Amino acid sequence: MAVRGIQRFPQNQYVDAVRWLPIESALERLAVVALFDLDSDASSIQIHSLNLNQSSLEPYSSWASPSRISSLKASHFLNKPLIVASTSGGSLHLLFSDSSDASFQSQVSLPEGSLHSVPASSVDLLDGGVQCVTAGEDGKLNLVAISDSNLNYRRLFDSAGLVSYTAVRWASPSEFATAGYGFTLHWWDHRKPGGPVSHFKANWDKKFTSGIVHSIDIHPSRKHTCLAGGSLGTVFAWDLRWQQQPIILSGAGAGSGNNAIQSISESEVWEVQYDRCIKSNTSSTRILPSMICSEDGILGVIEQGEEPIELLAEPCAINSFDIDQHNPTDVICSLEWEAVAILTRQ
Amino acid sequence: MPSDTGGNGSLVPFSGDSTAVYPLHHGLASPIRRISISFSCGNSLRLSLFAAASAKIVEVKLSGEDNEISDAHRRRIAYGSVAPFAMLQSRRSSLSALLKTPSPYHSDWWEHVLQYSKEIGSLLGGPKLTPSPIIENPSAIVKGGEEATSLKAAWELIEMFYVDKQSQAWLPERLVDWLADYDSLFTSTHETIHGKLVDFEKELVNIQVIEDDPRYWDLLSSALSVGWLDIVAKMLRLHGSYQLDQLSHREIENGLVEAVALLISQMPHLRPESVGKLGECYKSKPDFIKAWEKWRSQITKLDCSPYWIQCDNQQTREGLRNLLQIMLGNSESLCMATCYWIELYISHFLYIRPFTMGIESMYNLAQKCIQLKPRSSTHRLSGLMIGILEENTEVVLAECSREFGPWLVAHAIELLTAGSEQAEMLLHEERYSLGGISIAELHRLVYAQILSSHALTWQIAPIYLTSCMKQGMGLLENLLYRQSVQHNDVLLKNIEICRLYELDHISSNIMKIAGVYHWKHGRKGAGVFWLQQAQDASCLDRIAQQLFDSVGKSISDENFKQWEGMIELLGSESKPAGGLEFLHKYRDFKKSLQKVSVGKSTDAARQAVGSLILLMKNPSTPQRFWLPLLYDSLKLLNWQDCPLLSVSETNLLLNKLQELSLAKLRPQYTEPSLPSDALSSIRLALAINLGRAILDE
Repeated sequence: MAVRGIQRFPQNQYVDAVRWLPIESALERLAVVALFDLDSDASSIQIHSLNLNQSSLEPYSSWASPSRISSLKASHFLNKPLIVASTSGGSLHLLFSDSSDASFQSQVSLPEGSLHSVPASSVDLLDGGVQCVTAGEDGKLNLVAISDSNLNYRRLFDSAGLVSYTAVRWASPSEFATAGYGFTLHWWDHRKPGGPVSHFKANWDKKFTSGIVHSIDIHPSRKHTCLAGGSLGTVFAWDLRWQQQPIILSGAGAGSGNNAIQSISESEVWEVQYDRCIKSNTSSTRILPSMICSEDGILGVIEQGEEPIELLAEPCAINSFDIDQHNPTDVICSLEWEAVAILTRQ
Repeated sequence: MPSDTGGNGSLVPFSGDSTAVYPLHHGLASPIRRISISFSCGNSLRLSLFAAASAKIVEVKLSGEDNEISDAHRRRIAYGSVAPFAMLQSRRSSLSALLKTPSPYHSDWWEHVLQYSKEIGSLLGGPKLTPSPIIENPSAIVKGGEEATSLKAAWELIEMFYVDKQSQAWLPERLVDWLADYDSLFTSTHETIHGKLVDFEKELVNIQVIEDDPRYWDLLSSALSVGWLDIVAKMLRLHGSYQLDQLSHREIENGLVEAVALLISQMPHLRPESVGKLGECYKSKPDFIKAWEKWRSQITKLDCSPYWIQCDNQQTREGLRNLLQIMLGNSESLCMATCYWIELYISHFLYIRPFTMGIESMYNLAQKCIQLKPRSSTHRLSGLMIGILEENTEVVLAECSREFGPWLVAHAIELLTAGSEQAEMLLHEERYSLGGISIAELHRLVYAQILSSHALTWQIAPIYLTSCMKQGMGLLENLLYRQSVQHNDVLLKNIEICRLYELDHISSNIMKIAGVYHWKHGRKGAGVFWLQQAQDASCLDRIAQQLFDSVGKSISDENFKQWEGMIELLGSESKPAGGLEFLHKYRDFKKSLQKVSVGKSTDAARQAVGSLILLMKNPSTPQRFWLPLLYDSLKLLNWQDCPLLSVSETNLLLNKLQELSLAKLRPQYTEPSLPSDALSSIRLALAINLGRAILDE
């Protein structure tokens, strides 16, 4: 688990999001970086080629975005890398790329204002890339069907602003979860429109301050458990089978006295993902290990019942990260101070 | 105003001739009627120009005076200096807590400052990692690679004089190194040896017989005069007598070149070892003096050698003997060989006064050199150097601030005060003329303001503001209030800073602002969340009324699922929800009513009645919901098995009906959209229930 090496690459622009581009290649490592240039007010998505031995991260190709990227995902579509991005202007963009030269081949999008109004929306892509779900702070949920020439969308739900969604994640081809204010999680089935199938609102400790969930993850082998990370260093898991009882993995307000849970961070947990690197006993009832990044500059691994492991402690916020699917020891993360860091574990 | 519109086109008259006028091309026909100026992204000004029939927006980029460092690089320096600065501040406060004396200056304080200085210095650019060429270019004289900036040169100069106590003994030698690294910077304002070498290097391929070119000998003596021994040795190897076909008939000439080159490579230096450089190093002064005298006597011996007469190449003979004169410290030769005063100054250290001396005599020497090489234009580094040699902290600060900007001043103050009580007094003394703050604090505040004005650096301003005792906190509060609440990430980063500095009152105000903002933009859930976080019950009360207005009747129809999310958000009843707690009770009532409609259990019905009475008793239940509530509960009022409401409960409901009929007379009353017989059927049901209840009791 020890960190073998860390390399930082200044970008000279604000990094809104980072992802690995999932390609199986022994020769090349590609990363997708969403950048925002404040001086020219221009946003872009760039594919960078990484060479760890020469410590270089060089831009390969770039696509200009109409507004800032608020959510970024990378996957496959017909064996080609596909990048999905939603923007703070409410538009959705799908960039089809060519795995041979990492260039952008084609782009389809839904214009600003069609899916969401400002300020931000989150998007998730179904594995295999046929369908997207988007959720926005404006309280709208949309399903977007993908083909390589056009996009069709369907409004699944509109809370008319009464509820804002901050994150969305597929659980199965028909089910997905959303997260929002007040540490709430909703479970949806798009075959049953009109409202969430199930919702989770734990009765936290009375003194406990509430917060916002910023990121959720669902493991393909455990579709009944939703992992969530948010304010005050809070990371918890919601098992659909035990509805009202969250399993708290980290958090300032979590537990008390002897059963206090050690908290990895005290500030916003911006992103949470199951850690593919640690092989855990799949039959175990424990929550699978997960990785988080936080406002106070921590990148770390949390395992239920274990002490958290700090992989990186930066003097500035770590705003997003991604674990490489094909080389799960490698993690890419975006730093508040206009840089991208790449971490290699043993 | 744009000069291209002519004198009559100016909107604002200006006088005085010191104003710089920049033409602005907007392409609009004159006259411009109105102009509006606002700040745009980054360092841009947005000018909106309105002419008679058209308008245009022009962005004007205000770039700093210094083009040497890009904005992005400047930000990278700002980010990097946060950690060393914060570290030094915490060391200072822990030291002063330990010593319990007002002055934290411990004997080894300068070591901490030196570490800080090295860390900051490394941010300003180190040697560039350019791969070394496999085949070395024989004609490359000047070493390249390092990206020299004036900022780094200034930092090193200050470090050398104020902090690094260990190397005070070989200060002149450090200055020699410093000039070797940064002589190229002076090329921008005047001729330098470095500039001449670069020019010569370019022409090298075209020169057939190098020793016949007078520039070759001039440059050799120039490079030698400032101690660039490696370059001199390399250039001497280019001498024609080394060529194989000439070696035989130019033996003596070549012997002389070799002898001079050998002497140059043996030049003694008073300094610790320097890796990979020519010359011999001596750490202790007596050893050095011995070596120095021996070396000088060897030069004199060579100068008087009979071989010179046998050397028939006049150019070589004169050139080499001039090199000897330089090494012997002939002040005329040195003055001829150097281009400007700092080069001359360095050559004096090397060949005339190679022993260390006090700052005062260093200053006198500098003045002498300035007289010998009068300045036509001054480089900013030269101004800084004079200030340092003058031992005038105020001049140094002024030069730093004028020429290098607030970043350098804010960070260099730590160096200036590292070893000097007097500078410490001067910079930390509170001044009436500055509104009660010290010079040090003033410069820190200025730097923090610059950080605050940029969307990517405002987050590091608090580190500097909190180190300002007098005005820092006030400005920090200002800064935090000024940040946008539109985007959650910025808002949360802002609240996080409040948490770090325990500014709870500010974070609660920011949350209120965010709540109202989201509410106004239709994100009602987010609005309620932030107002709840801020515990602003009165604001929640007010928006509750608006919320019920916008809800209208939708709350009573089947579309209630939308509201579930909002009610969920309101959380348990211990949380302040203001008037919104009505929603909670209403949901509970709806739920129990639903149970009643499915089954016929009297218990469920009693529970529903309980909820109804609670709702009707509660003052936060809006009046306009009374009638729909009662109409929804008709089934309960007409319960078959037994009367569900007691006499007093029935009376309460009747009173509410009475109140409603009075309220109807008021102008702002809105009629709920219910069937026309709703009121009468409620009345009837209540009357029947009252009768049955009286009989029961």
